[in-house]
Amino acid sequence: MRRSLTHSVLALALTCAACDHTITSTELLPPLDAASLDSAAGSWRMIVLSGPTQFPVTTPAADTSAAYRAELAAIRAAQAHLTAAQRRTIAYWSAGGVLRWNEIVRGLVARFNLPPAPRADGTYPVPDPENPFADPQFPFANPPYAARAYSYLAVAQFEALKTAWYWKYQYNRRSPAQLDTGIAALRPLSDLPAYPSEDAVISGVTVELLKVLFPAAVEEITQRAAEQRNAALWSGKAAPSDIAAGLTLGKAVAVVFVARAGADGMKNAGGTPAQWQAFADSAVAHGEIPWQSQESPPRPPMLPNFGLLQTWLMTPTDVVTERPPAPPSTLSDQMQQEVAEVRRTVDHLDGTQLAIAYKWNDGAGTYAPPGHWNDIAAEYVRDARMSEVRAARTFALLNMAMHDAAVGCWGVKFLYFNPRPGQLDPNIKTVIGLPNFPSYPSGHSTFSAAAAVVLSYLFPRSSAQFDAMKDEASISRLYGGIHYRSDIERGKEHGARIGGYAVRFAQQDGAN
Amino acid sequence: MRISSVLLLLIGPATLHAQTVDDGMLFPRRALSAGVVYAHEDWSQYWEGTLKRENGNIGTVTTQRVSWTAGYGVTDRLSVMVTVPYVATRASQGPLQGMSGVQDFMLAAKYQILATPLTDRGTLRALVVGAAGIPASNYTPDFQPLSIGLASRQVSGRFTLNFQARDGWFLNGSAGYTWRANVKLDRPAYYTNGQLYLTDEVAMPDVVEYSIGAGLQQGRLCIPVTLSQHRTLGGGDIRRQDMPFVSNRMDFARIDGMVMYSVPAPRNLGIRVGTSRIVSGRNVGQATEVTGGLFYNFHF
Repeated sequence: MRRSLTHSVLALALTCAACDHTITSTELLPPLDAASLDSAAGSWRMIVLSGPTQFPVTTPAADTSAAYRAELAAIRAAQAHLTAAQRRTIAYWSAGGVLRWNEIVRGLVARFNLPPAPRADGTYPVPDPENPFADPQFPFANPPYAARAYSYLAVAQFEALKTAWYWKYQYNRRSPAQLDTGIAALRPLSDLPAYPSEDAVISGVTVELLKVLFPAAVEEITQRAAEQRNAALWSGKAAPSDIAAGLTLGKAVAVVFVARAGADGMKNAGGTPAQWQAFADSAVAHGEIPWQSQESPPRPPMLPNFGLLQTWLMTPTDVVTERPPAPPSTLSDQMQQEVAEVRRTVDHLDGTQLAIAYKWNDGAGTYAPPGHWNDIAAEYVRDARMSEVRAARTFALLNMAMHDAAVGCWGVKFLYFNPRPGQLDPNIKTVIGLPNFPSYPSGHSTFSAAAAVVLSYLFPRSSAQFDAMKDEASISRLYGGIHYRSDIERGKEHGARIGGYAVRFAQQDGAN
Repeated sequence: MRISSVLLLLIGPATLHAQTVDDGMLFPRRALSAGVVYAHEDWSQYWEGTLKRENGNIGTVTTQRVSWTAGYGVTDRLSVMVTVPYVATRASQGPLQGMSGVQDFMLAAKYQILATPLTDRGTLRALVVGAAGIPASNYTPDFQPLSIGLASRQVSGRFTLNFQARDGWFLNGSAGYTWRANVKLDRPAYYTNGQLYLTDEVAMPDVVEYSIGAGLQQGRLCIPVTLSQHRTLGGGDIRRQDMPFVSNRMDFARIDGMVMYSVPAPRNLGIRVGTSRIVSGRNVGQATEVTGGLFYNFHF
């Protein structure tokens, strides 16, 4: 008996050996050893800037100057006393600044992707950029806001890095580890000229933009950026003057994008109560059932004027002409059949369908659908060992397409103001959160199709996988009980057309 | 020998009552008790972190549970118990679907390490309990608060001290520690406790529980009342207006009352009714539960 007890205790202990609690929160990325230096990136086509000389970078001091030799001595001194924490910082940032900041911003989106809680009187406060630390925190990084944030970050980094590449090859200053045998290369050594430092360029442009996009996270953002620059210095990759020039350049480029963000229409995207009513009145005037918030208390719709925002690669006319046709009338037989299909689907989900609904949920508190596609893209960027400037191009193309997809999709959503399935049939209960904006067309489908088109162009050997992911992400909304099939089909077509703009830009930007 | 005979005396009328892992009771040797327990739990207020609130998008969350349990006395000092609950949840308001399914299979072994007379008033006993739980279906833990469980494999150890007075009163003190295995989600990333995790695996903090109880056991009747504390050793709070998450720091204090009665006829049949209420908590609903169960005893 005593033995059997021993046995059972032993069995329990063994079961527990399986309880490994170790979870790695960040992506495990190898040190970036770029497949190509992309030395011609200084001539790649610009998107917002006029060209690489819009922001001149002053001539650096000569390698032989006393000032520069003092900088090298400072690096040697720093390397002599590196702590374990400093080495971890080096290892973290050696994966590449573009990949790391993309990951950090996905975390910021997830942190800020929470809707305001209702007040006691049943109304909702609006996040205030002038008071970002209050409740509700600013921003509510919902899918359109997230799409815009990812795109600003990526495009600004891309433009700043093209400028940096241009000046790097003007001055051709080598890195400290190459110039001084007393300095160890603690990151893979490359022949990329060090002046201005690309790490500092990325940190400068990123910090200034994130201060505007996520002002309540300013402390964390500033610390991370300083770590990135320190890592460049400690690793023997950049000298203080390389870093100072890079930081100045990055911040200068950021000014252009901060100004653009201040005037791109975001400020008015929330609309007014009169406008919210006008959407409903318009739907009624067209003989349709208007969308109603299913939240309790009813919440104003999410960013009704986001469809009017400035796009990256489409003209306002393009935005209108690429729109899908009208959805089936809310009173039509087709709509009735589509409502019935949603009901049938959510009432009989199998395990696989349920898992797909959760996999692509990307709802409140997550990095949002555009974040999911950045997550996917990051692995391909890593595996392709892209240089910083080429990684920035990949994320810029992807995120411009998804931002434009958000603008296009939101315009159509508020043009038709179509009700969600659960509004037309209250027996439809969802297995994921119900988004608080009109149904047609599906935002997931639009984002995913735009992303899949761009990634398929950039990584053609994986296009079948992107296509399958796009289809899975889209149909997940039917499984979730929050979209009709026509929302999904028209959304995918719309997204693919919008993604085409980014592909056409990429075909002629000089980077191929 | 002396200890065993005291034990037999004590256990005689309590046959039907050894039904939870944290009580101080055991099944007599070769006695099998099988039962079914129904529980109805609901809450309309919950703690979002430490903020107590209601939420119009869920209204009242109701959880119903039907558990099949069986206990067997391997020896007079060692009992084993198994439980499998079927759980169904629903929200009274809002768009979200309730969930249902078989939850976690639990196996426990309870062993008496000590039973000694304490003065001439009664007997002091000490028990250790080892338990293991494993999800019995592949339900999702990623739809809190409507998921039917946390889907974590777990192992727990527990120590219980019990004093049984000759006149029927008893006191019970118990403390347990639960190790919980990582949980897998269907999604590639999640945010909790101030951080984005780029993985589908969630570390589940361990849990400690302790309880004190008192009650009366006389003849066919047993009435225990228990106050228990449940603390999760880590995990994040539910953020403002966020959904709960599987690894949240779920803490609560609960008061439990129960009446167990062995009916005179048919022999071997016991009934049990009980109620509990959460009095304070963090990242949990303020649940009120009522339970009712039937048990049948077989002697071999």
